[in-house]
Amino acid sequence: MLSIAVAKGRLFSSFLTILREANVLKCDSLDVDSRKLVIECPEGIRFVLAKPADVPTFVEYGAADLGVVGKDTLIEANKDVAELVDLNYGRCKMVVAVPMSLGINDIRELDFNSRVASKYPRIATEFFNRHGIQVEVIPLNGSIELGPLVGLSDAIVDITETGRTLIENGLQPITTIMESTSRLIANRVSYKIKTEQINSLVQKIEEAIK
Amino acid sequence: MKLYTPRGVKDFLPEDAYWKYLLEQRIRKAFVRWGYQEVITPTFEFFETLNIGSTSSEQTYKFLDQEGQLLALRPDITTPIARMVTTRFINELKPLRFFYLLNVFRHDDVQVGRQREFYQAGVELIGSDSAYADAEVVALAIELFKTVGVLDFQLDIGQVDFFNGIMNGCVNSKTKADIRNALLRKDFVGLRNVINQSDLKPGTKKVLMELPRLRGRSEILDVAASLVENDVSLAALENIKAIYELLESYNVSEYVYIDLSMVKSLDYYTGMVLEGYAPNLGFTLCTGGRYDNLNVSSEYKNFATGFAMGLERLMLVLERQGHKPELIKTEILVIGPDRLRAAQYVAEQRNKGVIVEWDVLNFSLEQATEYAKAKGIKKIMVFANGAEQCISIEGGEAQC
Repeated sequence: MLSIAVAKGRLFSSFLTILREANVLKCDSLDVDSRKLVIECPEGIRFVLAKPADVPTFVEYGAADLGVVGKDTLIEANKDVAELVDLNYGRCKMVVAVPMSLGINDIRELDFNSRVASKYPRIATEFFNRHGIQVEVIPLNGSIELGPLVGLSDAIVDITETGRTLIENGLQPITTIMESTSRLIANRVSYKIKTEQINSLVQKIEEAIK
Repeated sequence: MKLYTPRGVKDFLPEDAYWKYLLEQRIRKAFVRWGYQEVITPTFEFFETLNIGSTSSEQTYKFLDQEGQLLALRPDITTPIARMVTTRFINELKPLRFFYLLNVFRHDDVQVGRQREFYQAGVELIGSDSAYADAEVVALAIELFKTVGVLDFQLDIGQVDFFNGIMNGCVNSKTKADIRNALLRKDFVGLRNVINQSDLKPGTKKVLMELPRLRGRSEILDVAASLVENDVSLAALENIKAIYELLESYNVSEYVYIDLSMVKSLDYYTGMVLEGYAPNLGFTLCTGGRYDNLNVSSEYKNFATGFAMGLERLMLVLERQGHKPELIKTEILVIGPDRLRAAQYVAEQRNKGVIVEWDVLNFSLEQATEYAKAKGIKKIMVFANGAEQCISIEGGEAQC
């Protein structure tokens, strides 16, 4: 039995597609929209449906052997887990964005009075520290674009796929901090104790996403 | 007044304290049978002494004494023992075998079974650089798991020189650090990216790519040997092979896997390294290895190997595997106004080893019965009116 923590929604559906392509999962009747938090498949896989930011925690504590999570969330969570496969979907960029009206094109133009709103305070703080820019990072849980709109912050650090939401809210990206894709992660002890099961799954997934 | 404790410390209530005591007794017996002697080092020492160990400075609790000297709570016991050996046992015949059952302090994220103050059971075997010594500490770690009854545990051994040998040819120190960090975090995606982007030789790239898969029983040693050419890595493989064969002679190799991708964070370990795991716990139970370069003093070189086991984690695994023992119960509750006669009886029983509680609240028989039922005490002895009576809690007479 392998348990896999994964966030509901698009990431889960994409991951199921990969598992079906890899022939590890039939589970045709799997209802991804149900309200269940734990879904068992006859193939010996149990899905633990968690919030994206919590997936690394479930895996670190061994409450799930494996997890599927974006690299951005993984870095932000800073948990001690093994990172096994780049699943190559859920591709997005983490950017610093500012209101177009500000006319700023370079992060160095943000001064020490600048406030930056982000759902990724750890990544944002680390990024600005690395560049020696002393900004105040304000952690938010969602609708980050709201920050500059209502004067909470001067800039935001957030993920974007196409940049459309940013533009719709009058923001423009000025720097890319990192690119992110979904990753398959593992609990360090599960990886040691269920090596064969996990390696065989990894191999099939790698074949499927080639 | 605050009636709660700071994050990272915990009370051991009677059940847990008793269980910890039982476990420690079993562990102590095992260590002693293997010829190890117990030592106790100070709870705090000079920071500079403790800072040479494997725990980072940020994780160490530091404070000043009244003379303004920087002190620290011990973050591990290995460093204090190395200090002790250097000063007090330098001319002693080797080898030295020490063990400890002590608490350590690390300012770290609180995890499962790991507070900021936690207990360790560990050994140090000092004065031998042979595979015999490394095999002994691995076998002893296994003995410990068996002694306390952990089911389905597993030990991984590795050799840091296998990786060091591969990386010796790499002049780019950033590449070197990135690869080590990726292996340390088990970030295999990152590892592949660093390797692909590096200017390492094709042969080196190939073995590094294979590294995460170099884990298994003794057969992987041949696979690994076919992938490397440098002497350092080959010597590391020979060393692991020797240790594994010795573990076969201890008849414990079924518990042991070889993991050549195991690296450690600092240049602290110099040879074999080990980690222990059990199902039911997502965290490592024990770690250790050979640390010949622990630089306590320039004129003394220690050959040393050992391991440390997290006691609370051990307790947690055992609890999850259904092993937690019941707290030992009082056998007889003594009540009644004839305290002089009762005194003699209480003393006699206690001398025999019977657990006796003597009433201090002037219990009536009714109150005593209620108390005894709540506490799981089976018998009540009443000394009243010149007579004595032993009553079973389930009703009727009993033998006290």
